[in-house]
Amino acid sequence: MNILSDHAFHWFLMIVTGGFAGAWFVYDLWSLWRSRNADRSDPIVRDRQFGYVVGMTIGVLGVIGVLKFHGVL
Amino acid sequence: MVVTSAVDEAAGSAPAPTSRVVSPWNPANAVTASRFLTLPLLFWAVDHGYRQWATLFIIICGLLDKLDGLVARIFNCRSAFGELFDALTDAACYGFGLIVCAAYGWAPVVPVVLVIALGVANVLMRAVYTRRVGRAVNYKSYAMERIVAYTGYLIGFATGNMEVDFFYWCFVPLLTVILIHDAKRMLIDPVPRAA
Repeated sequence: MNILSDHAFHWFLMIVTGGFAGAWFVYDLWSLWRSRNADRSDPIVRDRQFGYVVGMTIGVLGVIGVLKFHGVL
Repeated sequence: MVVTSAVDEAAGSAPAPTSRVVSPWNPANAVTASRFLTLPLLFWAVDHGYRQWATLFIIICGLLDKLDGLVARIFNCRSAFGELFDALTDAACYGFGLIVCAAYGWAPVVPVVLVIALGVANVLMRAVYTRRVGRAVNYKSYAMERIVAYTGYLIGFATGNMEVDFFYWCFVPLLTVILIHDAKRMLIDPVPRAA
């Protein structure tokens, strides 16, 4: 009992994952860039910047996973 | 009843401009609670081998997670309890999804066990942090927010059979690093004081 064809589902997963991961990477990269001059003695700022780095890492993993799923890597 | 205060804002959670009473019976918490309705449907889909339906239900669960924050802003009903309830619901829903996927062989058991164990450690540390603060308050971690979203995706990768081993084994070291980072702030660093 499927909603989509297997081919369409494959592409749906790739678009949702790749699109979200790519956008996430760019957004957190931009956020990290904007916060480059923030006061790092503030623990909230440090936590935020650490979160941006984690977000970028997840974004990269998402894109790599999509490429592997599509047989590119 | 929960009174939001400057403690929450200083802790990085449930910012409130003024101290005011917010009932736990509010639209945002209702949306959060509705996420539990997707769990029996997820179980049904996995049990019957309907991968696409299982993926749909976990997507709905994830979207509701995003929607509750929006509803809280629209109805101006943000509270420390709401954020705590949201975090606990994340843990319950995604923990359930991971266990079901592992039980049916859709996800590798070892990383799922490690993720659950790390998740329990996180909950315990949050409980300690709450005791240190002295009242119901959610510890806000930007990195943890991101890894929780990744957790939702983990279940989707399992239901969609999408590079499951790769995504699961990448997740474990990332979560470990974040927990170590957050442990210092929750257990060692001084807690913010009320203004």
